Amino acid sequence: MQSRRRATRLAITGLVLVAVLAIAETRKDYRFTVGPRANVSVFNEYGPVIVRATSGNQVIVTATVHSDKVEIDNDQSGDRVEIKSHLLPGADSRSGEVDYEVQVPADASVTLHSATGPLHAEKLHGDVTLVGATASIEVRDVANGHVHVNTLSGPVVLSNIQNGHVEITSVGGDVSMSSVSGPKVQVSSTSGKISYDGDFGYAGEYSLMSHSGDIEATVPTGASFDVTARSVHGRVENDDVPFLPKTHTSFVQIPGSSFAGTIGKAASSVVIKTFSGKIRLKKR
Amino acid sequence: MTCAELQQVLPELIEGEREAELQAHLQSCSECAELVSDLRAIAEQGRTLRASEEPAPHVWQFIETQLRREGLIHDPGTERPFLLRTPTRRWSPAIWFVPVAAALLLSVAFLLRPKPQSTVATRRPVSDTPSAFSTPEPSADADDSALLEAVQKRSPAMTAAYSDNLRKVNNYISDAQKSLQQNPNDDDAKQYLMQAYEQKTMLYDMALDRALP
Repeated sequence: MQSRRRATRLAITGLVLVAVLAIAETRKDYRFTVGPRANVSVFNEYGPVIVRATSGNQVIVTATVHSDKVEIDNDQSGDRVEIKSHLLPGADSRSGEVDYEVQVPADASVTLHSATGPLHAEKLHGDVTLVGATASIEVRDVANGHVHVNTLSGPVVLSNIQNGHVEITSVGGDVSMSSVSGPKVQVSSTSGKISYDGDFGYAGEYSLMSHSGDIEATVPTGASFDVTARSVHGRVENDDVPFLPKTHTSFVQIPGSSFAGTIGKAASSVVIKTFSGKIRLKKR
Repeated sequence: MTCAELQQVLPELIEGEREAELQAHLQSCSECAELVSDLRAIAEQGRTLRASEEPAPHVWQFIETQLRREGLIHDPGTERPFLLRTPTRRWSPAIWFVPVAAALLLSVAFLLRPKPQSTVATRRPVSDTPSAFSTPEPSADADDSALLEAVQKRSPAMTAAYSDNLRKVNNYISDAQKSLQQNPNDDDAKQYLMQAYEQKTMLYDMALDRALP
Protein backbone atom coordinates (compact mmCIF):
# COMPACT_ATOMS: atom_id res chain seq x y z
CA MET A 1 0.00 0.00 0.00
CA GLN A 2 2.72 2.44 1.01
CA SER A 3 4.77 1.57 -2.05
CA ARG A 4 1.75 2.25 -4.27
CA ARG A 5 1.27 5.68 -2.70
CA ARG A 6 4.96 6.42 -3.17
CA ALA A 7 4.80 5.38 -6.80
CA THR A 8 1.72 7.55 -7.35
CA ARG A 9 3.41 10.54 -5.74
CA LEU A 10 6.48 10.03 -7.91
CA ALA A 11 4.37 9.80 -11.04
CA ILE A 12 2.49 13.00 -10.21
CA THR A 13 5.77 14.81 -9.44
CA GLY A 14 7.21 13.63 -12.74
CA LEU A 15 4.19 14.85 -14.67
CA VAL A 16 4.37 18.25 -12.99
CA LEU A 17 8.08 18.55 -13.82
CA VAL A 18 7.45 17.70 -17.47
CA ALA A 19 4.71 20.28 -17.61
CA VAL A 20 6.97 22.94 -16.08
CA LEU A 21 9.74 22.17 -18.55
CA ALA A 22 7.32 22.32 -21.45
CA ILE A 23 6.18 25.75 -20.37
CA ALA A 24 9.81 26.96 -20.04
CA GLU A 25 10.57 25.84 -23.61
CA THR A 26 9.12 27.98 -26.33
CA ARG A 27 9.01 26.93 -29.93
CA LYS A 28 9.07 29.53 -32.68
CA ASP A 29 8.63 28.94 -36.39
CA TYR A 30 9.75 31.17 -39.23
CA ARG A 31 9.27 30.86 -42.97
CA PHE A 32 11.07 32.76 -45.69
CA THR A 33 10.46 32.53 -49.44
CA VAL A 34 13.69 32.72 -51.41
CA GLY A 35 14.95 32.45 -54.95
CA PRO A 36 17.63 30.16 -56.39
CA ARG A 37 20.99 29.96 -54.60
CA ALA A 38 19.77 31.66 -51.47
CA ASN A 39 22.14 32.50 -48.63
CA VAL A 40 21.14 31.33 -45.14
CA SER A 41 23.11 32.16 -41.98
CA VAL A 42 22.45 31.00 -38.43
CA PHE A 43 24.45 32.45 -35.53
CA ASN A 44 23.70 30.48 -32.38
CA GLU A 45 26.14 30.84 -29.50
CA TYR A 46 24.82 27.89 -27.55
CA GLY A 47 22.92 24.93 -28.88
CA PRO A 48 22.52 22.72 -31.94
CA VAL A 49 21.87 23.81 -35.50
CA ILE A 50 20.64 21.10 -37.85
CA VAL A 51 20.26 21.99 -41.54
CA ARG A 52 18.68 19.71 -44.10
CA ALA A 53 17.72 20.17 -47.72
CA THR A 54 14.12 20.25 -48.72
CA SER A 55 12.18 20.71 -51.93
CA GLY A 56 10.51 23.98 -52.71
CA ASN A 57 11.67 27.56 -52.37
CA GLN A 58 11.20 28.17 -48.68
CA VAL A 59 13.55 28.38 -45.75
CA ILE A 60 11.78 26.93 -42.72
CA VAL A 61 13.27 27.59 -39.30
CA THR A 62 12.11 26.00 -36.06
CA ALA A 63 13.75 27.45 -32.97
CA THR A 64 13.25 26.05 -29.47
CA VAL A 65 14.14 28.53 -26.75
CA HIS A 66 14.76 27.30 -23.20
CA SER A 67 14.51 30.52 -21.24
CA ASP A 68 13.61 34.16 -21.52
CA LYS A 69 17.28 35.13 -21.54
CA VAL A 70 17.54 34.81 -25.30
CA GLU A 71 15.52 36.11 -28.20
CA ILE A 72 15.56 35.23 -31.89
CA ASP A 73 16.45 37.97 -34.34
CA ASN A 74 15.57 37.21 -37.93
CA ASP A 75 16.13 39.22 -41.07
CA GLN A 76 15.57 38.69 -44.77
CA SER A 77 17.05 40.85 -47.53
CA GLY A 78 16.14 39.42 -50.89
CA ASP A 79 17.51 35.90 -51.00
CA ARG A 80 19.65 36.38 -47.90
CA VAL A 81 18.23 35.12 -44.63
CA GLU A 82 19.95 35.69 -41.30
CA ILE A 83 18.89 34.13 -38.00
CA LYS A 84 20.65 35.15 -34.81
CA SER A 85 20.29 34.12 -31.17
CA HIS A 86 20.41 37.41 -29.31
CA LEU A 87 21.59 36.78 -25.77
CA LEU A 88 20.16 39.11 -23.15
CA PRO A 89 22.08 40.26 -20.05
CA GLY A 90 22.44 37.42 -17.59
CA ALA A 91 22.38 34.70 -20.25
CA ASP A 92 24.79 31.82 -19.88
CA SER A 93 25.48 28.58 -21.73
CA ARG A 94 22.33 26.94 -20.35
CA SER A 95 19.81 29.75 -20.34
CA GLY A 96 21.11 31.04 -23.66
CA GLU A 97 20.71 27.76 -25.47
CA VAL A 98 18.52 27.59 -28.57
CA ASP A 99 17.85 24.49 -30.66
CA TYR A 100 17.51 25.16 -34.38
CA GLU A 101 16.15 22.90 -37.09
CA VAL A 102 16.42 24.50 -40.51
CA GLN A 103 15.18 23.31 -43.86
CA VAL A 104 16.59 25.01 -46.94
CA PRO A 105 16.43 24.54 -50.70
CA ALA A 106 19.19 22.16 -51.76
CA ASP A 107 21.05 24.83 -53.75
CA ALA A 108 21.21 27.28 -50.85
CA SER A 109 24.53 28.30 -49.34
CA VAL A 110 24.59 27.86 -45.60
CA THR A 111 26.71 29.45 -42.85
CA LEU A 112 26.42 28.14 -39.29
CA HIS A 113 28.14 29.49 -36.17
CA SER A 114 27.89 27.93 -32.74
CA ALA A 115 30.34 27.73 -29.84
CA THR A 116 28.89 24.54 -28.33
CA GLY A 117 26.85 23.08 -31.20
CA PRO A 118 26.48 20.46 -32.49
CA LEU A 119 26.35 21.60 -36.10
CA HIS A 120 24.97 19.38 -38.82
CA ALA A 121 24.36 19.93 -42.54
CA GLU A 122 23.30 17.39 -45.11
CA LYS A 123 22.12 16.85 -48.68
CA LEU A 124 23.08 20.29 -49.94
CA HIS A 125 24.48 21.48 -53.27
CA GLY A 126 25.47 24.97 -52.20
CA ASP A 127 28.46 26.16 -50.20
CA VAL A 128 28.56 25.10 -46.56
CA THR A 129 30.51 27.02 -43.91
CA LEU A 130 30.54 25.82 -40.31
CA VAL A 131 32.35 27.52 -37.46
CA GLY A 132 32.36 26.08 -33.95
CA ALA A 133 34.60 26.31 -30.91
CA THR A 134 33.87 23.04 -29.11
CA ALA A 135 30.93 22.07 -31.28
CA SER A 136 30.93 18.69 -32.95
CA ILE A 137 30.50 19.26 -36.66
CA GLU A 138 29.05 16.87 -39.21
CA VAL A 139 28.57 17.37 -42.93
CA ARG A 140 27.27 14.65 -45.19
CA ASP A 141 26.02 14.15 -48.72
CA VAL A 142 27.15 17.46 -50.19
CA ALA A 143 27.90 17.65 -53.89
CA ASN A 144 29.21 20.48 -56.07
CA GLY A 145 29.50 22.89 -53.20
CA HIS A 146 32.46 24.15 -51.22
CA VAL A 147 32.78 23.05 -47.61
CA HIS A 148 34.63 25.21 -45.06
CA VAL A 149 34.99 24.16 -41.44
CA ASN A 150 36.75 25.99 -38.61
CA THR A 151 36.90 24.46 -35.16
CA LEU A 152 38.97 24.73 -32.02
CA SER A 153 38.45 21.35 -30.41
CA GLY A 154 35.20 19.96 -31.70
CA PRO A 155 35.36 16.73 -33.71
CA VAL A 156 34.68 17.08 -37.42
CA VAL A 157 33.10 14.31 -39.49
CA LEU A 158 32.69 14.62 -43.25
CA SER A 159 31.15 11.89 -45.36
CA ASN A 160 30.21 11.65 -49.01
CA ILE A 161 31.41 15.09 -50.08
CA GLN A 162 31.96 15.25 -53.81
CA ASN A 163 33.22 17.67 -56.41
CA GLY A 164 33.82 20.75 -54.29
CA HIS A 165 36.62 22.52 -52.48
CA VAL A 166 36.96 21.26 -48.92
CA GLU A 167 38.90 23.31 -46.41
CA ILE A 168 39.10 22.30 -42.77
CA THR A 169 41.05 24.10 -40.06
CA SER A 170 41.12 22.50 -36.63
CA VAL A 171 43.32 23.24 -33.65
CA GLY A 172 42.62 20.24 -31.44
CA GLY A 173 39.56 18.61 -32.91
CA ASP A 174 39.92 15.28 -34.71
CA VAL A 175 38.95 15.32 -38.37
CA SER A 176 37.45 12.24 -39.96
CA MET A 177 36.71 12.05 -43.69
CA SER A 178 34.99 9.25 -45.53
CA SER A 179 34.40 9.38 -49.31
CA VAL A 180 35.53 12.96 -49.58
CA SER A 181 36.79 13.85 -53.04
CA GLY A 182 37.07 16.98 -55.08
CA PRO A 183 39.39 19.23 -57.02
CA LYS A 184 40.89 20.52 -53.78
CA VAL A 185 40.82 19.09 -50.27
CA GLN A 186 42.88 20.83 -47.61
CA VAL A 187 42.98 19.86 -43.95
CA SER A 188 45.09 21.66 -41.40
CA SER A 189 45.35 20.70 -37.74
CA THR A 190 47.54 21.47 -34.76
CA SER A 191 47.01 18.48 -32.47
CA GLY A 192 43.83 16.97 -33.87
CA LYS A 193 44.10 13.63 -35.64
CA ILE A 194 43.28 13.47 -39.32
CA SER A 195 41.87 10.34 -40.85
CA TYR A 196 40.93 9.89 -44.48
CA ASP A 197 39.14 6.91 -45.98
CA GLY A 198 38.64 7.27 -49.71
CA ASP A 199 40.18 7.09 -53.14
CA PHE A 200 41.61 10.65 -53.40
CA GLY A 201 39.59 10.99 -56.61
CA TYR A 202 38.58 13.75 -59.01
CA ALA A 203 42.20 14.29 -60.11
CA GLY A 204 42.36 16.68 -57.22
CA GLU A 205 44.96 18.23 -54.95
CA TYR A 206 44.87 16.87 -51.43
CA SER A 207 46.80 18.33 -48.52
CA LEU A 208 46.68 16.86 -45.02
CA MET A 209 48.92 18.73 -42.61
CA SER A 210 49.32 18.77 -38.83
CA HIS A 211 51.67 19.83 -36.09
CA SER A 212 51.44 16.85 -33.76
CA GLY A 213 48.22 15.13 -34.76
CA ASP A 214 48.59 11.70 -36.33
CA ILE A 215 47.44 11.32 -39.91
CA GLU A 216 46.01 8.11 -41.31
CA ALA A 217 44.90 7.46 -44.89
CA THR A 218 43.04 4.31 -45.94
CA VAL A 219 42.81 3.74 -49.67
CA PRO A 220 40.96 1.18 -51.80
CA THR A 221 42.41 -0.94 -54.54
CA GLY A 222 42.19 0.96 -57.80
CA ALA A 223 42.97 4.38 -56.36
CA SER A 224 45.11 6.62 -58.53
CA PHE A 225 47.31 9.25 -56.96
CA ASP A 226 50.78 10.55 -56.36
CA VAL A 227 51.72 10.80 -52.68
CA THR A 228 54.38 12.61 -50.68
CA ALA A 229 54.43 11.87 -46.98
CA ARG A 230 56.89 13.51 -44.59
CA SER A 231 57.20 13.82 -40.84
CA VAL A 232 59.90 16.01 -39.31
CA HIS A 233 60.07 14.26 -35.94
CA GLY A 234 57.56 11.43 -36.29
CA ARG A 235 57.28 8.26 -38.33
CA VAL A 236 55.88 7.47 -41.74
CA GLU A 237 54.51 3.95 -42.22
CA ASN A 238 53.08 2.20 -45.27
CA ASP A 239 50.95 -0.87 -44.51
CA ASP A 240 51.16 -2.77 -47.79
CA VAL A 241 49.79 -0.09 -50.08
CA PRO A 242 51.35 -1.04 -53.44
CA PHE A 243 53.08 2.22 -54.32
CA LEU A 244 55.66 2.61 -57.02
CA PRO A 245 58.42 4.54 -55.25
CA LYS A 246 59.52 7.85 -56.77
CA THR A 247 63.24 8.27 -56.91
CA HIS A 248 63.39 11.88 -58.08
CA THR A 249 62.02 14.14 -55.37
CA SER A 250 62.76 17.65 -54.16
CA PHE A 251 63.77 16.32 -50.75
CA VAL A 252 66.00 13.59 -49.41
CA GLN A 253 63.89 10.52 -48.62
CA ILE A 254 64.68 9.05 -45.23
CA PRO A 255 63.14 5.61 -44.64
CA GLY A 256 60.73 5.80 -41.74
CA SER A 257 60.48 9.63 -41.93
CA SER A 258 59.44 10.30 -45.49
CA PHE A 259 58.06 8.58 -48.52
CA ALA A 260 57.10 9.43 -52.09
CA GLY A 261 55.38 7.18 -54.59
CA THR A 262 52.62 6.71 -57.10
CA ILE A 263 49.72 4.31 -57.38
CA GLY A 264 47.72 3.73 -60.51
CA LYS A 265 48.01 6.55 -63.03
CA ALA A 266 48.76 9.14 -60.33
CA ALA A 267 45.74 11.20 -61.29
CA SER A 268 45.54 13.09 -58.00
CA SER A 269 48.25 14.73 -55.95
CA VAL A 270 48.35 13.93 -52.23
CA VAL A 271 50.67 15.66 -49.79
CA ILE A 272 50.70 14.48 -46.19
CA LYS A 273 52.90 16.31 -43.70
CA THR A 274 53.19 16.38 -39.96
CA PHE A 275 55.76 18.05 -37.76
CA SER A 276 55.84 15.47 -34.98
CA GLY A 277 52.86 13.20 -35.55
CA LYS A 278 52.76 9.80 -37.21
CA ILE A 279 51.66 9.16 -40.78
CA ARG A 280 50.14 5.82 -41.71
CA LEU A 281 48.99 4.67 -45.12
CA LYS A 282 46.71 1.63 -45.15
CA LYS A 283 45.01 -0.53 -47.71
CA ARG A 284 41.24 -0.92 -47.32
CA MET B 1 73.76 82.61 -54.75
CA THR B 2 75.94 79.52 -55.20
CA CYS B 3 74.80 75.89 -55.45
CA ALA B 4 75.88 75.22 -51.84
CA GLU B 5 73.96 78.26 -50.57
CA LEU B 6 70.90 77.17 -52.51
CA GLN B 7 70.90 73.71 -50.93
CA GLN B 8 71.18 75.22 -47.45
CA VAL B 9 68.02 77.28 -47.90
CA LEU B 10 66.16 74.69 -50.00
CA PRO B 11 63.11 74.27 -47.72
CA GLU B 12 62.46 78.00 -47.84
CA LEU B 13 62.81 78.01 -51.59
CA ILE B 14 60.30 75.16 -52.00
CA GLU B 15 57.78 77.16 -49.96
CA GLY B 16 58.14 80.05 -52.37
CA GLU B 17 60.38 82.32 -50.38
CA ARG B 18 63.36 84.15 -51.84
CA GLU B 19 61.98 83.59 -55.33
CA ALA B 20 64.09 86.28 -57.00
CA GLU B 21 67.40 84.88 -55.78
CA LEU B 22 66.29 81.39 -56.72
CA GLN B 23 65.35 82.30 -60.28
CA ALA B 24 68.62 84.13 -60.79
CA HIS B 25 70.62 81.03 -59.84
CA LEU B 26 68.43 78.51 -61.67
CA GLN B 27 68.85 80.37 -64.94
CA SER B 28 72.56 79.75 -64.77
CA CYS B 29 72.69 76.27 -63.15
CA SER B 30 70.93 73.37 -64.87
CA GLU B 31 71.68 70.88 -62.07
CA CYS B 32 70.03 73.01 -59.40
CA ALA B 33 67.15 73.74 -61.76
CA GLU B 34 66.54 70.01 -62.17
CA LEU B 35 66.75 69.43 -58.40
CA VAL B 36 64.27 72.19 -57.60
CA SER B 37 61.93 70.95 -60.31
CA ASP B 38 61.95 67.41 -58.87
CA LEU B 39 61.37 68.65 -55.34
CA ARG B 40 58.47 70.84 -56.40
CA ALA B 41 56.90 67.86 -58.18
CA ILE B 42 57.23 65.75 -55.02
CA ALA B 43 55.76 68.58 -52.95
CA GLU B 44 52.85 68.82 -55.36
CA GLN B 45 52.17 65.09 -55.07
CA GLY B 46 52.41 65.35 -51.31
CA ARG B 47 49.47 67.74 -51.21
CA THR B 48 47.25 65.01 -52.64
CA LEU B 49 48.09 62.53 -49.90
CA ARG B 50 45.20 61.73 -47.65
CA ALA B 51 44.92 59.75 -44.47
CA SER B 52 43.71 56.29 -45.35
CA GLU B 53 41.18 54.13 -43.61
CA GLU B 54 42.84 52.13 -40.89
CA PRO B 55 42.17 48.56 -40.01
CA ALA B 56 40.80 47.77 -36.60
CA PRO B 57 43.23 48.05 -33.69
CA HIS B 58 43.36 44.31 -33.11
CA VAL B 59 44.80 43.86 -36.63
CA TRP B 60 47.70 46.24 -35.85
CA GLN B 61 48.26 44.49 -32.54
CA PHE B 62 48.39 41.11 -34.24
CA ILE B 63 50.84 42.39 -36.85
CA GLU B 64 53.00 43.85 -34.12
CA THR B 65 52.97 40.54 -32.28
CA GLN B 66 54.17 38.72 -35.41
CA LEU B 67 56.92 41.26 -36.03
CA ARG B 68 58.16 40.94 -32.45
CA ARG B 69 58.23 37.18 -32.78
CA GLU B 70 60.27 37.43 -35.95
CA GLY B 71 62.73 39.69 -34.12
CA LEU B 72 62.15 42.55 -36.50
CA ILE B 73 61.13 45.00 -33.77
CA HIS B 74 62.54 45.13 -30.30
CA ASP B 75 60.90 48.14 -28.73
CA PRO B 76 59.84 47.48 -25.17
CA GLY B 77 56.07 47.24 -24.71
CA THR B 78 54.36 50.55 -24.34
CA GLU B 79 50.79 51.25 -23.36
CA ARG B 80 49.82 51.92 -26.94
CA PRO B 81 51.27 49.72 -29.66
CA PHE B 82 53.50 51.84 -31.85
CA LEU B 83 51.71 50.68 -34.99
CA LEU B 84 48.58 52.46 -33.80
CA ARG B 85 50.33 55.84 -33.89
CA THR B 86 49.31 57.24 -37.21
CA PRO B 87 49.69 60.70 -38.66
CA THR B 88 46.45 62.59 -38.53
CA ARG B 89 47.55 65.88 -40.01
CA ARG B 90 48.90 66.68 -43.43
CA TRP B 91 52.53 67.67 -43.52
CA SER B 92 53.53 70.64 -45.58
CA PRO B 93 55.97 69.64 -48.32
CA ALA B 94 59.04 71.25 -46.80
CA ILE B 95 58.46 69.68 -43.42
CA TRP B 96 58.11 66.09 -44.63
CA PHE B 97 61.00 66.17 -47.09
CA VAL B 98 63.62 65.95 -44.31
CA PRO B 99 62.05 63.11 -42.32
CA VAL B 100 61.39 61.11 -45.51
CA ALA B 101 65.06 61.41 -46.41
CA ALA B 102 66.00 60.46 -42.85
CA ALA B 103 63.67 57.45 -42.99
CA LEU B 104 65.29 56.30 -46.24
CA LEU B 105 68.74 56.54 -44.70
CA LEU B 106 67.60 54.67 -41.60
CA SER B 107 66.02 51.94 -43.73
CA VAL B 108 69.25 51.41 -45.62
CA ALA B 109 71.20 51.28 -42.36
CA PHE B 110 68.65 48.84 -40.91
CA LEU B 111 68.88 46.50 -43.92
CA LEU B 112 72.66 46.51 -43.84
CA ARG B 113 72.93 45.93 -40.09
CA PRO B 114 74.30 42.58 -38.83
CA LYS B 115 71.49 40.12 -37.94
CA PRO B 116 70.80 40.22 -34.19
CA GLN B 117 70.49 37.05 -32.13
CA SER B 118 66.83 36.19 -32.00
CA THR B 119 65.40 35.43 -28.59
CA VAL B 120 63.17 32.84 -30.23
CA ALA B 121 66.19 30.65 -30.96
CA THR B 122 66.45 29.89 -27.26
CA ARG B 123 63.12 28.05 -27.32
CA ARG B 124 63.19 24.28 -27.44
CA PRO B 125 60.56 22.55 -29.49
CA VAL B 126 58.17 20.20 -27.81
CA SER B 127 55.00 18.64 -29.23
CA ASP B 128 51.98 19.56 -27.17
CA THR B 129 53.31 19.97 -23.69
CA PRO B 130 54.64 23.37 -22.68
CA SER B 131 58.38 23.52 -22.68
CA ALA B 132 60.14 24.19 -19.43
CA PHE B 133 62.83 25.99 -21.39
CA SER B 134 60.79 28.25 -23.62
CA THR B 135 60.84 31.98 -23.00
CA PRO B 136 57.67 33.46 -24.49
CA GLU B 137 57.78 36.97 -25.91
CA PRO B 138 56.32 39.39 -23.31
CA SER B 139 54.04 41.10 -25.84
CA ALA B 140 52.69 37.78 -27.18
CA ASP B 141 51.81 36.75 -23.63
CA ALA B 142 50.13 40.10 -23.07
CA ASP B 143 48.00 39.74 -26.22
CA ASP B 144 47.03 36.19 -25.33
CA SER B 145 46.21 37.20 -21.76
CA ALA B 146 44.07 40.06 -23.03
CA LEU B 147 42.25 37.67 -25.36
CA LEU B 148 41.54 35.18 -22.59
CA GLU B 149 40.33 37.98 -20.33
CA ALA B 150 37.92 39.07 -23.05
CA VAL B 151 36.67 35.49 -23.45
CA GLN B 152 36.35 35.16 -19.67
CA LYS B 153 34.19 38.28 -19.49
CA ARG B 154 31.97 37.35 -22.40
CA SER B 155 31.71 33.60 -22.13
CA PRO B 156 33.30 32.08 -19.00
CA ALA B 157 32.31 28.55 -20.03
CA MET B 158 34.60 28.75 -23.08
CA THR B 159 37.70 30.10 -21.33
CA ALA B 160 39.26 26.72 -20.66
CA ALA B 161 38.82 25.64 -24.29
CA TYR B 162 40.42 28.80 -25.62
CA SER B 163 43.26 28.65 -23.11
CA ASP B 164 44.05 25.03 -23.94
CA ASN B 165 43.98 25.55 -27.69
CA LEU B 166 45.97 28.78 -27.47
CA ARG B 167 48.69 26.86 -25.66
CA LYS B 168 48.74 24.22 -28.41
CA VAL B 169 48.96 26.82 -31.16
CA ASN B 170 51.76 28.72 -29.40
CA ASN B 171 53.73 25.48 -29.09
CA TYR B 172 53.20 24.93 -32.81
CA ILE B 173 54.50 28.41 -33.61
CA SER B 174 57.48 27.87 -31.35
CA ASP B 175 58.41 24.55 -32.99
CA ALA B 176 57.91 25.96 -36.47
CA GLN B 177 60.07 29.02 -35.76
CA LYS B 178 62.92 26.91 -34.45
CA SER B 179 62.68 24.58 -37.44
CA LEU B 180 62.82 27.53 -39.82
CA GLN B 181 65.83 29.02 -38.05
CA GLN B 182 67.66 25.73 -38.35
CA ASN B 183 66.65 25.31 -42.00
CA PRO B 184 65.96 28.77 -43.44
CA ASN B 185 65.71 27.48 -47.00
CA ASP B 186 63.33 24.62 -46.22
CA ASP B 187 59.96 25.27 -47.89
CA ASP B 188 58.25 22.84 -45.53
CA ALA B 189 59.55 24.77 -42.52
CA LYS B 190 58.12 27.99 -43.98
CA GLN B 191 54.83 26.27 -44.65
CA TYR B 192 54.60 24.98 -41.07
CA LEU B 193 55.20 28.48 -39.67
CA MET B 194 52.63 30.03 -41.98
CA GLN B 195 50.09 27.40 -41.06
CA ALA B 196 50.79 27.87 -37.35
CA TYR B 197 50.10 31.60 -37.65
CA GLU B 198 46.94 30.88 -39.66
CA GLN B 199 45.75 28.62 -36.85
CA LYS B 200 46.35 31.38 -34.33
CA THR B 201 44.59 33.92 -36.53
CA MET B 202 41.60 31.62 -36.75
CA LEU B 203 41.57 31.25 -32.96
CA TYR B 204 41.69 35.03 -32.43
CA ASP B 205 39.00 35.62 -35.05
CA MET B 206 36.76 33.05 -33.44
CA ALA B 207 37.26 34.52 -29.97
CA LEU B 208 36.67 38.12 -31.06
CA ASP B 209 33.76 37.42 -33.39
CA ARG B 210 31.32 36.54 -30.65
CA ALA B 211 27.69 37.57 -30.47
CA LEU B 212 27.42 37.92 -26.71
CA PRO B 213 26.18 41.19 -25.25
